[in-house]
Amino acid sequence: MSEIWKNPLAPWRGDAEPQEAPSEAYSDPGEVWRAKRQSHTKLYKVGRLRYYHKWRGHGAKTWTRTRYWPTRRRVLDIRGEYNPKILRREKTIVDKRPIWWLLSFIAIAVAPFLAPKDLQSTLISAGTVFLIYAAINLCWTLILGTAGIFSLATMAVVGAAAYGAASMSVFYGWPWWTLPFVGGGIGFVFGVVIALPATRLDGFYYALLTLGLNELCRVYVVQSRTFGSATGGVYGADSFIPTGASQRVELIIGYFASFALMLSALALFRFVNGKRLGRILRMAPEKREAFAQAVGIDYRTARIQVFIISSVGLGVIGGFYASYFHGASPSLFSFDSVLLGLAMLVIGGLGKAEGAVLGTFIVIVIDKVFLQLGPIRLILVGAIMLGVVLLLKNGLFGIKHQFRDWRDKKKSENRSTRAEKGGEMLPEEATEAGDKDLIYAQRFDKMQRDYLKGVVSEKLVEEHARNPLGQHSEPLERLLLYFRRQPQVDKYAIAVIEPFKAYRIVALSGHRGVAPRVVEEKTYPSEREAYHGVFLRRVQDLLES
Amino acid sequence: MDLGFVIVSAVTLACIYGTLAIGISITWSSLGLINMAYGLTFATAGYGAWLVGDQLQAIDAISDTTWIVGPIVILAGILTGAACGVVICAVTFIPIHDKPNFTVRGLIASLAVSLIGTQVLLQVFGPRAKSLPPLFGDWELPIGNVVITADKGGAMISSIVLLALALRWMKSSRRGLEIRAMMMNPHAASLVGIGVRRTGFYVMALTGALAGLASVLLSQTYYISPFSGLTPLIKGLSVALLGGLGSVNGAIVAAVILGTNEALTSALLGGQYALITQFLLIIIVLLFRPRGIAGILDKAREA
Repeated sequence: MSEIWKNPLAPWRGDAEPQEAPSEAYSDPGEVWRAKRQSHTKLYKVGRLRYYHKWRGHGAKTWTRTRYWPTRRRVLDIRGEYNPKILRREKTIVDKRPIWWLLSFIAIAVAPFLAPKDLQSTLISAGTVFLIYAAINLCWTLILGTAGIFSLATMAVVGAAAYGAASMSVFYGWPWWTLPFVGGGIGFVFGVVIALPATRLDGFYYALLTLGLNELCRVYVVQSRTFGSATGGVYGADSFIPTGASQRVELIIGYFASFALMLSALALFRFVNGKRLGRILRMAPEKREAFAQAVGIDYRTARIQVFIISSVGLGVIGGFYASYFHGASPSLFSFDSVLLGLAMLVIGGLGKAEGAVLGTFIVIVIDKVFLQLGPIRLILVGAIMLGVVLLLKNGLFGIKHQFRDWRDKKKSENRSTRAEKGGEMLPEEATEAGDKDLIYAQRFDKMQRDYLKGVVSEKLVEEHARNPLGQHSEPLERLLLYFRRQPQVDKYAIAVIEPFKAYRIVALSGHRGVAPRVVEEKTYPSEREAYHGVFLRRVQDLLES
Repeated sequence: MDLGFVIVSAVTLACIYGTLAIGISITWSSLGLINMAYGLTFATAGYGAWLVGDQLQAIDAISDTTWIVGPIVILAGILTGAACGVVICAVTFIPIHDKPNFTVRGLIASLAVSLIGTQVLLQVFGPRAKSLPPLFGDWELPIGNVVITADKGGAMISSIVLLALALRWMKSSRRGLEIRAMMMNPHAASLVGIGVRRTGFYVMALTGALAGLASVLLSQTYYISPFSGLTPLIKGLSVALLGGLGSVNGAIVAAVILGTNEALTSALLGGQYALITQFLLIIIVLLFRPRGIAGILDKAREA
């Protein structure tokens, strides 16, 4: 700070007081404050806080919440709150997922019309495959995530339903609209049969068993003469695509039918996972079944129910598959298709609808769109799958959660490494303190002492020796004000032994009736020197603290 | 149908699948990893043996002497299998073995490795199947009205001998003791100073070597192709499941049961029903004993 002291009283006393006086140079007390405020840990501005956009709230009119029939749910989860800083109401959209879903639905609906002309047939048929597989994976997610049954027989159910439906149509001439029902029936039967061992077996025994069942289906179909061991599948089933239409119209009809299929799979997911069954099963995660059972939850029945419902869904998809592709082929049962399906789920994140759809999208784009890459496509898919499994806890949609966990871990690590203590409270002390004002008082006191330690100098001591009382320079005045403000306990005082002859420094006890104690034997011949002696002691105590 | 022939081939297959199943069982019980890349190890070992066999065929001096070519090719298969097992361990076990949800992630990671590896094999060696030179010469051993051919007899004998050696090694050596300790209680093993990662490498090398042996032996009857590992993997898994994951004795019993089942089904119903009866059998056994023939509920490894 400047070496000129400006008299704050000058405006009121006119010319009686000097406007300014020379002063010692001293540092700005604000510096300590700023240094203190600066965080020692490295700050990353992005992602430290959960950022929510605040929408303007309503003014005078009542806020109406749109609820959709037949539930009492709201379209968006919106939280309303009053912001006392701006004196206004604000709205926060807590869960933005419906918006993203809606946007992606619009994108899916518009996509076939925006595809470039030369690639149109490739892209639309890839899109159709994406939508069908997304529907399959949504049902599979129900089994793996919601029901917690590690079944790998999904493609076996789909394939069996597709084969059954296709042969009904080929051998008995059933029309296309019956095929999903046939598939659903087959899916139900398959679901019941496969679910039987699931009641008894542990996760991995069951996974390996279902993998074997899948292989069994493949071998059976490849060897069976009725299911076309010679022709490579059953073909010639009735289709919902009209025969006379142009190729483009055929593709677009297939695309939108598959879109409808995916939407109904999503609805199934929503109604199973988001309602009673899903909630029951969320109560009974793996290894905590005993607790769920103890509070009266019949998790076994719930799991089997979810499994059978999803199997029926898979069967319907199988029937649709047979109808769309005019038949079924053994490639449905191949180990690679199980692997690719699992890759889709794992990449997106197990147990989440958005994960199933995004994973399917990524894998299908690599597998069906980048055809020119050749066999490297599968290696690429495998590499992505491996990377996701090795690095991420729960797929791409688990990144957010994993990052937050990691950040919280780092935060608490940093907090626990902080061990400096200088009159301040440590975090664990601070939580114990009853009067929280003490925390701030001590912190302020520490900052003030830090500052005053830097202010003490030879010149200042000299100045005080010259003139213990009266007007001082600003730094000395700050120092003295601090000393005066200290509490009574152990505060230095001057005891008069003999007026104008002998003075002695004592320390007050701070308690009524308890005499001050004598600090030193030395006596001072004058009041002035005694004042200075007290000052020196206090400065020494300050520097030692 | 010649029952003797069926029995001989079933016993041969039981020996080979038993070898695979023991590998799967040991991996699961000591590392807690379901090694779905076992089929890849199988196929890779076959290719390794084929490469060495191909080189040996080019050398005129020894190309006809089976007693030199055979052991070298078998050894090449075993070594390739062990190397492949170590690589799989380094990729799927080491990075995530202490992370949450390891069992599912390990399973999926090994599936991914299998997907990548199979495609790489396809790229390098092409889709055409390869066959190994005859390893056990050309002899026949008639026992009553059953004739044991060279490839089957050799496969039986060498698998039993090598398996017995491997089990003997596990019983008597220091490393084997570590592996068995890991199988009993992995946490306690790591507490008393048995390195989890190091033992992981030993286990995977051993099981990889077993897969390599099975691969070379099976290639006498079938061909080597990038996808040839799938059926043995499924068979090995079924045997291991039936025997109870983690039990060597259970795997041997299960291999005998499934071999007999396969032989009987082929003789009575026809070969295409073998898988169906096999899975029915497994499902029935598992419904009564959920952890397989030998696995007792409490003693089996918790996932």
